[in-house]
Amino acid sequence: MSVEQDLQALRRGAAPILPENGISGFSLAIVIGVLAFLAGIAMTGFFAVDTAVRGWSGELTGTVTVQVRGASQADIETAATEALSILQGTEGLSNIKRVSEDASMELLEPWIGSDVLPDDLPLPALYTADVTPELRQNLTPLRTQLADDVEGASLNDHGAWTDQLVQSARRVRGLAFVAFVLVIAAAASVIVFAARAGLTAHRNIVEVLHLVGATDGFIASQIGRRYLVLGTLGGAGGAVGAVIATKFLAVVTEDAGGFLPSFSIGMETALWLLVIPVLLGGLATVSARIAVLQTLRQGSFTV
Amino acid sequence: MAAQPQEEPIVALRDVHLSYDGAREVLRGTEFKLRAGDFRFLTGPSGAGKTTLLKLIYAAHRPSSGSVRVFGQEIGDLRAAELPRLRRRIGVVFQEFRLLDHMTAFENVALPMRVLGIHPNTYRDDVVELLSWVGLAHRIDAPPTVLSGGEKQRVALARALVSKPDLILADEPTGNVDPVMGEKIMRLLLELNRLGTAVIVATHDLNLVRGLRQNILRLKEGKVTLHGPIPEAPSETPPQARRGQAS
Repeated sequence: MSVEQDLQALRRGAAPILPENGISGFSLAIVIGVLAFLAGIAMTGFFAVDTAVRGWSGELTGTVTVQVRGASQADIETAATEALSILQGTEGLSNIKRVSEDASMELLEPWIGSDVLPDDLPLPALYTADVTPELRQNLTPLRTQLADDVEGASLNDHGAWTDQLVQSARRVRGLAFVAFVLVIAAAASVIVFAARAGLTAHRNIVEVLHLVGATDGFIASQIGRRYLVLGTLGGAGGAVGAVIATKFLAVVTEDAGGFLPSFSIGMETALWLLVIPVLLGGLATVSARIAVLQTLRQGSFTV
Repeated sequence: MAAQPQEEPIVALRDVHLSYDGAREVLRGTEFKLRAGDFRFLTGPSGAGKTTLLKLIYAAHRPSSGSVRVFGQEIGDLRAAELPRLRRRIGVVFQEFRLLDHMTAFENVALPMRVLGIHPNTYRDDVVELLSWVGLAHRIDAPPTVLSGGEKQRVALARALVSKPDLILADEPTGNVDPVMGEKIMRLLLELNRLGTAVIVATHDLNLVRGLRQNILRLKEGKVTLHGPIPEAPSETPPQARRGQAS
């Protein structure tokens, strides 16, 4: 026997039990790919907003500002010293800095311009300080102490503004997660429909399999295996598409001055995008298997 | 092939009635027994219930009433999960072959072994040998689409035999093949029977039946009208056949 004949003999029996071009095949892989792409975009959006929320929360809620106003610069300086003393004596505050006069002027410029400021204009004194999460939970005593003991002093922890911002961002993040779940559910529905249609299209094969003693579980596993391949390939294609689209979004959002969340792919996002083909492969296998078993157990398939 | 005790028939039908969807009864009080190693031709006119009777035996149908026992199991009581085990002991051959066109002859014959989860190395030689036995060693890698009717039927026969069943059911196995090939297939079934496998062959071809001198089970309107040797002057020879013989 020649080598070619040997190889041919080894290949015998390797044909899939269901034809490759059946059970919706290529078009189903395309549909799964599109859904995987949408799932990838939803996932990227989720992580982008999540990262932004964490960034905003960390940057803004990690600091407090104390403003000291007064009728004259001398009053302001006296009060500022008292305020600094209170800040330095408060546990949970660190890195206390006074905002320089130039920086204060810059903050005022957008409202009153740079050319018309008189030299004797009393500028409020501003202090910034890093605050521990524990102190951030209850700033009321510090706020009260400053208001009571220091004329013209007030504490701003940015809480009201950041809370609203973070809450809105969390809603967007939740929406992205819901979109991801819905897309995955849509993929499962498509797979179930295709598996049932494929089973009906191959009724003759299923009948022969029953005839030669195949169990419903065997038939379901054969079809499930086919869907594992379709789901994984479609999922991988969609995930690659999502990576490319995300890279494009990252370039676009870079020009937005850092206001929009960054869509650059971090390690966490990349890992989750890798999960999509695995998730869709597994989902396709399980969905197809359940659909096939349900259809077979309804008893519409005989020999 | 597991031997059955002589006193225990492998197939036993008692007062079997079957009607599809409550319409006309196809089987009406059918009774017969088949023991291990028996050979029966199942004859009768179209609509007599031959195919239905075979379907009852391989549990594609359940009786409306009466008892169908196959390998000691009551068909009517079997759960769906128990059917594969029963069917693995029965090889079935159909007039329309029922081969899978996307597979080669080898793969079609090997299908029951794959279903059993047996590794190809274990059955590869058996399948090749079986295909050689039915005269198809040269067509081993051919798909059914390029095979003649006779070749397809021999592949179907090899598929029915590969798992070494205790019982072969053949429903009009010569219906779609020429007479020479039909006789060849019948000879293969007889040879198989001589090796110990019980065989039931449903057929219209009384000339073939008469030439092979085996016991017959004649069905008429769902009832067994004859069970035993074929009569010398069969009364049910179709008029066309009689005309053919006369000429």
